[in-house]
Amino acid sequence: MNCQRVQDNFIDYQDGSLPADESAQLRAHLTSCPTCQREWAALQEMTRKLDALPVAEPSPRLRENFYAMLDHAQRDADAPSPFALARSRIDRFFAALLPEQPAMQFAFALALLVCGLLAGQHYLARPAAAPVDDSAKREVAELRKQMDAVNQLVVASLLQQKSTTERIQAVLTTMDQKAPSPSDLHAMLTVMQTDSSINVRLSIVDALNQHSDDSIVRAGVLSALPRERAPLVQVAMIELLTAARDRVAEPVFEKLSRDESVDLNVRAAARRALAVLRLPAASPTATLQPAAQPLLT
Amino acid sequence: MTLAPIAQFRVPSQPVAARVPVAVEATSDHELMIAVRAGEIRRLGDLFERYHQPLYGFFVRLTNQPSVGEDLVQIVFYRILKYRHTYRDEGKFSAWIYHLARKVAADHFRKHASTPIPTDPVDMLDQADAGAQPSEQAAAAEDVVLLRAALARLPLEHREVLVLSRLQHLEHKEIARLLDCSVGAVKVRAHRALKELREVYFKIRKEKVA
Repeated sequence: MNCQRVQDNFIDYQDGSLPADESAQLRAHLTSCPTCQREWAALQEMTRKLDALPVAEPSPRLRENFYAMLDHAQRDADAPSPFALARSRIDRFFAALLPEQPAMQFAFALALLVCGLLAGQHYLARPAAAPVDDSAKREVAELRKQMDAVNQLVVASLLQQKSTTERIQAVLTTMDQKAPSPSDLHAMLTVMQTDSSINVRLSIVDALNQHSDDSIVRAGVLSALPRERAPLVQVAMIELLTAARDRVAEPVFEKLSRDESVDLNVRAAARRALAVLRLPAASPTATLQPAAQPLLT
Repeated sequence: MTLAPIAQFRVPSQPVAARVPVAVEATSDHELMIAVRAGEIRRLGDLFERYHQPLYGFFVRLTNQPSVGEDLVQIVFYRILKYRHTYRDEGKFSAWIYHLARKVAADHFRKHASTPIPTDPVDMLDQADAGAQPSEQAAAAEDVVLLRAALARLPLEHREVLVLSRLQHLEHKEIARLLDCSVGAVKVRAHRALKELREVYFKIRKEKVA
């Protein structure tokens, strides 16, 4: 055992916690090594001095202060808080309400639940649906009104355009959309019936050709046809209705073809259209084209 | 210094009159503390009677200021009351109280970091034993004063390990848990602290003679 190892074991040896064999080795080393002897003696001396230090005695003030604090804390702990008081009162209230046996408590709770469900079904289910329907209807009506207002605005702005070119431009822009909305079509039909320029009316009929499968468009054109005075536009309208093969137009065509006051070309077009409509499934465009061509040039 | 047979020098780890009470008594520290936690606050009085003196000794040795020691003991018991709900069922009361005491001491040192520890306070002198022979009494008193001064000059961690092991008689295992280090580290620190104490002690004695 070297000196360092021996000195490391001093504390354990002092405590008596060093194993017996190592203690024996340590003692053997100490008898032969003056350095370690000095070290051990010094350690022992300091330990004895430390252990001999008088025990510090606190003044009576410490005990007094402590017991004053303890009394205070005990009083605080004994005094129930207002929150705890309120809670115990609420607990007592519910305890008085409920039956004492658990089985009865369960039955009571179940009965209460069933009552609640029945009451809810009776009072809540029906009136809840009605106001929703009403409000939805009101909302739809409101929206429709707004849409009409927008339509009128579109028409008005179209009619207010100063030059014919600008009006045609507006018509083309509106009809250029891939799928013009019903409100747009509606606006176009209105303009078609009211605009003073033949060119504007004609360009609208042209544009509406793409939408001749729409029943609103056909009905609009059909209602505008008897009032139309320009032969060019009349012929264009007849062509549109014929292309759509709308047999509802037949009486109108008949009337036109017999009306002496109507332009000759228009009467001819009406007659041709009638012939096309009465044919079972022939292509109408082929028969109409030759007559329409000279009129447009 | 003459060398006496080694066996004679052995200092028992537990001194003759154990001041930390043994847990075999009527009610153990742990049971008392569990009762306090459950709301029987007055039973803390029993724990106070068992621990206030060792705790006071711990603080006085650590701070070297008897008046501060009393305040710190009071703070420890106040914290026990305040945090009694945190005491665990598997806890050991002596470990817990020293844990709290160390924290209280650390708070004290942090607050008074600027104030140096008094090395030779007047109030350390008022406990000289009046019954001994004048010359012997004077020598012993002087020795005690020297030792206290030397202890006060040690760095806190060395002073603490000496106070806990030699004056509070805690086992190395307990100190290790308290200081959060290994038992070996505690022993090494205790040995170094004793050596350092000796050096400082003789240095002060030389200064006094000169």
